[in-house]
Amino acid sequence: MKKTILSLFFLATGISMTAQEVAFEEYDLDNGLHVILHQDNSAPVVTTSVMYHVGGKDREDGRTGFAHFFEHLLFEGTENIEKGKWFEIVSSRGGNNNANTSNDRTYYYETFPSNNLKLGLWLESERMLHPVIGQDGVDTQNEVVKEERRSSYDNRPYGNLLSAVTENLFKIHPYKDPNIGYMEDLDAATLEEFQAYFKKYYVPNNAVLVVAGDIEVEETKKMIQDYFGPIPSGEPVVRNFPEEAPISQTIRATYYDKNIQLPALINAYRTPGFGHKDAYVLNMISTYLSDGRSSKLYKKLVDDQKQALQVAAFNLEQEDYGIYLVFALPLGDTSLETLEQEIEEEIQALRTDLISEKEFQKLQNKFEADFISSNSSIQGIANSLARYHMLYGDTNLINSQIDIYRKITREDIQNVAIKYLMPQQKAVIEYLPEQNQ
Amino acid sequence: MKNIFALLLLFNLAIVSAQVDRTVMPEPGPSPEINLGSPKEFTLPNGLQVLVVEDAKLPRITLSLDIDNPPILEGDKAGVSTLTSNLLGQGSVNIPKDAFYEEVDFMGARLNIGISGAFATGLSKYSERIMELMAEAAISPNFTQEALELEKTKLKDNLKSSTKDVGFIATRVSSALAYGKKHPKGEFTTAETVDNVTLEDIKSFYSNRFVPANAYLIVSGDITFEEAREMAGKYFSKWKKASPLNLSYSTPKDVQYTQINFIDMPNAVQSEIRVQNLIDLKLGDKDYFPALLANYILGGGGDARLFQVLREEKGYTYGAYSGARPSKYGASLFRAQASVRNEVTDSAVVAFLDVINDFKNNPVSQKELDIAKAKYSGNFIMSLEDEERVAELALNIKQNELPANFYENYLEQINKVTVEDISDAAQRLLQPQNMRIVIAGKGSEVLEALEKMTYNGKKLPVKYFNAEGDPAEKPDYTAPPADNVSKKEILQKYIKAIGGTEKLQSISTMYASASTSIQGMTLDIEFKKGNGKYLMDTKMQGNSISKQVYDGEKGFTFAQGQKIEATGKAAEEMAKSAIIFPELKWLNDESVVVDRVDMVEGKQAYVLKVSDDNYSFYDTESGLKIKQESSTQMGPNTIKSTLLLSDYREVEGVKVPFSMQQNVGPQSFDLEVTEVKFNEDFQVSDFE
Repeated sequence: MKKTILSLFFLATGISMTAQEVAFEEYDLDNGLHVILHQDNSAPVVTTSVMYHVGGKDREDGRTGFAHFFEHLLFEGTENIEKGKWFEIVSSRGGNNNANTSNDRTYYYETFPSNNLKLGLWLESERMLHPVIGQDGVDTQNEVVKEERRSSYDNRPYGNLLSAVTENLFKIHPYKDPNIGYMEDLDAATLEEFQAYFKKYYVPNNAVLVVAGDIEVEETKKMIQDYFGPIPSGEPVVRNFPEEAPISQTIRATYYDKNIQLPALINAYRTPGFGHKDAYVLNMISTYLSDGRSSKLYKKLVDDQKQALQVAAFNLEQEDYGIYLVFALPLGDTSLETLEQEIEEEIQALRTDLISEKEFQKLQNKFEADFISSNSSIQGIANSLARYHMLYGDTNLINSQIDIYRKITREDIQNVAIKYLMPQQKAVIEYLPEQNQ
Repeated sequence: MKNIFALLLLFNLAIVSAQVDRTVMPEPGPSPEINLGSPKEFTLPNGLQVLVVEDAKLPRITLSLDIDNPPILEGDKAGVSTLTSNLLGQGSVNIPKDAFYEEVDFMGARLNIGISGAFATGLSKYSERIMELMAEAAISPNFTQEALELEKTKLKDNLKSSTKDVGFIATRVSSALAYGKKHPKGEFTTAETVDNVTLEDIKSFYSNRFVPANAYLIVSGDITFEEAREMAGKYFSKWKKASPLNLSYSTPKDVQYTQINFIDMPNAVQSEIRVQNLIDLKLGDKDYFPALLANYILGGGGDARLFQVLREEKGYTYGAYSGARPSKYGASLFRAQASVRNEVTDSAVVAFLDVINDFKNNPVSQKELDIAKAKYSGNFIMSLEDEERVAELALNIKQNELPANFYENYLEQINKVTVEDISDAAQRLLQPQNMRIVIAGKGSEVLEALEKMTYNGKKLPVKYFNAEGDPAEKPDYTAPPADNVSKKEILQKYIKAIGGTEKLQSISTMYASASTSIQGMTLDIEFKKGNGKYLMDTKMQGNSISKQVYDGEKGFTFAQGQKIEATGKAAEEMAKSAIIFPELKWLNDESVVVDRVDMVEGKQAYVLKVSDDNYSFYDTESGLKIKQESSTQMGPNTIKSTLLLSDYREVEGVKVPFSMQQNVGPQSFDLEVTEVKFNEDFQVSDFE
C-alpha cells in the first residue's frame, strides 16, 4: 500500500433512509454514446461497464450465436492490449471483470478499487474503439465456446430444457434458437462476417456506459470524454424481426435428455416483452404461484399433496416476447399428466376468481421487501442503470419501478391470466430421461 | 455503520493533462486504505455469542446463526444430517407449519434453518418477529413421522436425479477416494442409508448437534446494539446449554504413486477430471498467505496458469481451476479440475500434470506474484463494501483462533509474501508423485487412450471404480452381442433400411457434393464413385486444392500441383472407396465378422470388424450405419479417425446420410451433404 500525504475521512454519519433513492446523472456524447454516472463514495469501489444493444436475437439464419461469441472474442485484445493480457491487467490492479449475453443485450464490466477508475475507462474504450478480431482469436474461442456448450447444455442434467421450450414457443422469431447458437453456424462463419458484425453493433450509438461508485463527477466526465469521445459512431441499428402468430392450440412435445433420471414437466406460454405492463403482472403471478413455502403451487404440490419434488414458475423477461414457464419434477409415482392437471387447476383459478385480499397484500409486501434490497451493491446498481436505460428506455425505473407494482390490482392479475395463460396458448413439454443405455 | 469502521480514503489531486495517450495503460491513483472496525458483541448465559453490526443504510435486517460443529460420521445413516436440516424450519411445536410459512411470506421475509445454522432477512419493521420466528423454529422444532417420510422420499428422488450427473459423480467419488468412505468428508448418502434413518435418529442428531456452545448469531442492519441485545436475550435464552460431541477419525493418506481412477459414465459428452492430493492447511498457519497466493497463480482464475494453458492455449475446456481450502478439522484437499471433451481426455491429463510439475519445480515470476497480490488486496478492499463482511471476518477470527488483528494485517501479510515463500508453499500443497487423477467419463471413447498414455516415460496405472467409489472391473467393450445377432442379420437389416438389395444393386454410380468449414474457410468436396473408379475433389472458392483419384487400376493424390501415386495400403483403401455399397459384398466375405456391441452418441450399435483397423457401426434399432472407425499408421503414431453419420434422407429411393462428422485426433470437421445423384454418367477424364 502506498503512503500518501493527503487523506480524507469519509464518515457515514448515521443518516437513516427509508427508501434508497439511487441518484444518477445521464447525458450523451457527440458520437451517440449514452453515459450514466452514479456517485456513492461510501466504499472505495468503482464499476465501469458498457452494455451493448446486441444479443442472441441479432443474427441471420445460419449465423446464430454471434453476440455470445463476441462476449468471448472481445477479451482477446485490442490494438493497445496484447492478446491474452486482458485478465492479467484487470487482476494486476485488484479488479474483477466479466461479461454476459442475453438474447437482447451484452454486458461487459469491471469492478476495481476506486483508484483504478481511469483503467476501467481505458479498457472499455479500447474494446469499443479497436479490438483485434483475428482468425487466431476466432479459432481459440470457437473451441472454448464448444466446450461451454457441452458444459452448460449437453453434459448437464436438464441443460437443454430452455432450448426445448424456445423451439416450441417460437417458429420464426430468432428467440427460437439457443442464445449460444449452433456450433455449425460458428464453424461456418468467416472472419469477414465477424468483423462486419462488430462494425454493425459495437458502436457508441448502440451502447450505454455506466460509471458507478466512488467517483468525482466532473473529473469522471472529463476522462470519459478523453477516452470515449474520439470513437466514431456507426450506422443506426435497425431491427425488423418477424412477429409470431398467436398460439391457438396447445403444443405438445417430448424431449429426451440422457443426463437425467427424473422426468420434468414444463408448461410454457409466450408473453409480451418486458416493457409491457402485463410483464410486471406476470412477475407477480410467478411469486403468487411458487415463491415461498406458502405459495400456491409449492404448498399444494410439494407440501400438501406430495406430488412434486420441485415446482417453480418463472417469467423469463425478454425484449420482444417473454416466456412464462411453470416447471415441475414429479415425486414418486406421480405422472406428468397429473402434474399438468394440478397446475392447470391453479392457473384456471387465477382466471376465474380474484385472488384473496390477503394473498394480494402478501404479494405487495414481498415486492416492497425485494425492492428495498435490490440496490445494495455498486456492481448491481450499475447493471440496473444500464438495463433500465437501454431496454426499458427509462433509467429512473431503478427508483420508480416499485410504483408500477404498487398500481397493479387483483383485477389486473385475473385479466393477464385470461389474456396469456389459457390452456390453448401453452406448450406442454415432457422432458424425459433417455432410457437407451 | 457509524462506528463500525472508518474508511480512510486517500487520493491524489494532480489532475490529468488534457490529452490522453491511449497506447499507455493508465497508472493507478494512490491506493485507498482501510481501517477495519469490529462488531459489538455479547454472550448469552447459554454460550451463544452475538455479534452486532449497526448499518442503517437500508431499512432491513439480516440474521445469521452459525453453529460451528466438528464434522461427524453419519455412517449407515448417512443423510440424517440433510434430513434434519430439511425438517427444521417447518414451524415449531407451538406454531403449525402452514401458519408459520404464511407469516414469513406475508412479511416478505426469507427464513431458512438447517443443522448448522439459520439465516433470515427482511424489513427492519419486522425485526423482532423475524427473530422470534427464527428462534422458535430453531429451538422448538416439531419433528413428525409424516414429515420425515416425505423428506426421505424427496431426498431419494433428488439422489436419483443426480445419478447421471457426470460432474456430481466425479466430485463425490474423488472425495470418497481421498478421505475414505468411513470419514465424514468422504462418506455420502445413498437410498439405503436414507431408509435407515428413523424419527429417533433425527431427534437425537438434532439434540446432540444443534447446541449453543459453538454457536454465533450475527445481527446486522437497521437495528441498534441495545435492541439486538434485548431481542436476542428474549428469544434465544431458552436455548438449553450443551456442547456437541467431538470425535476423531483416522487420518487419510495419499496414494503411493500417481494414478488414474476411472468411473465409466456412458452418457458423458465430456470427461470430468479431478487431480488431487491431501493437504494440511489452516487459516492461522504461517504459510497460509503464501499457500493462498500459490493456488491463485496456479489455478485461481482466468489469468492463472491452468486456465491459460487448458482453455486459452489448448481449447480443451471452458474452464480449468484449482482450489486449496484451509480446514481446521484435519486434512483437506488440493484439487484441480476441468470438464474436457472426450477426445482430449488423455491430453488434458498430461496438461494438468505438466502445469502442476512446472509450478512445483520452478519459481514463479515476480510479475505473477505481484498480480496475485494485487488481486487479493483489491478483492479484500472491495469486499468491505458489504457491511456484513465485518462480522464475517470477526467470526473467522473467533472460529479459527486467529490473532485479533489478523484482518487488519491482511494486506500487509499479503504484501510480504516472496517468490521463495511461494515455492515453499508449492512444495507443501502439491504432491505430483502421489496424486489421484479421478476421471468420470465415457469409457468406450476415452479409455483406450488413457490406458496407453505415459507420463515422463512411465505408464499411469488406471484403476476402475463405480459411481459409489468402490473398486470395479475394467469395463469390457469387446463382449459379444448379448442376443447373438449374426453378421448376416446386421447387414441385411442395414441393406433393407437404406433401400433393399434390389434397389442398391441397380445403382452403378454415385455423385455427392458436400461442404465443410475449417478455420473459417469453406471447402467444397465432390465425390464420384462407381464402376470401379473413385474421385474425391476438394475445392476452395471453386479451385481444386487436392484430389484423390482411383482410375480402376491405380490411385493418385494431387496436391499443390503434384501428382503422387498411392502405394501399398493407401492404394488398397482407395480401391475400396470405389465401392458404393460394400455391405453387399461383406455378406459373403469371411474376413468381416461381428466384433461387439458398443455405444455411439448414446445409441447402441452392432460393430462389424471389416479389417484389423476398420470397423463399422450399425444402430441396433434403425439398422442404419452410424459410424466408421479406422486407424492409420503415421510414422511411429497410430492416428485414429472416426466418421459419424446421421441425418439420413431418401434420394431416389435410397437413404443417404446428409450429415457427417469426421474426427481425427483432437480435430473435428462437420460435413454437410448438399447434393446426391445416382447413375449419372461420368467422364473418363474425371478420373485422370
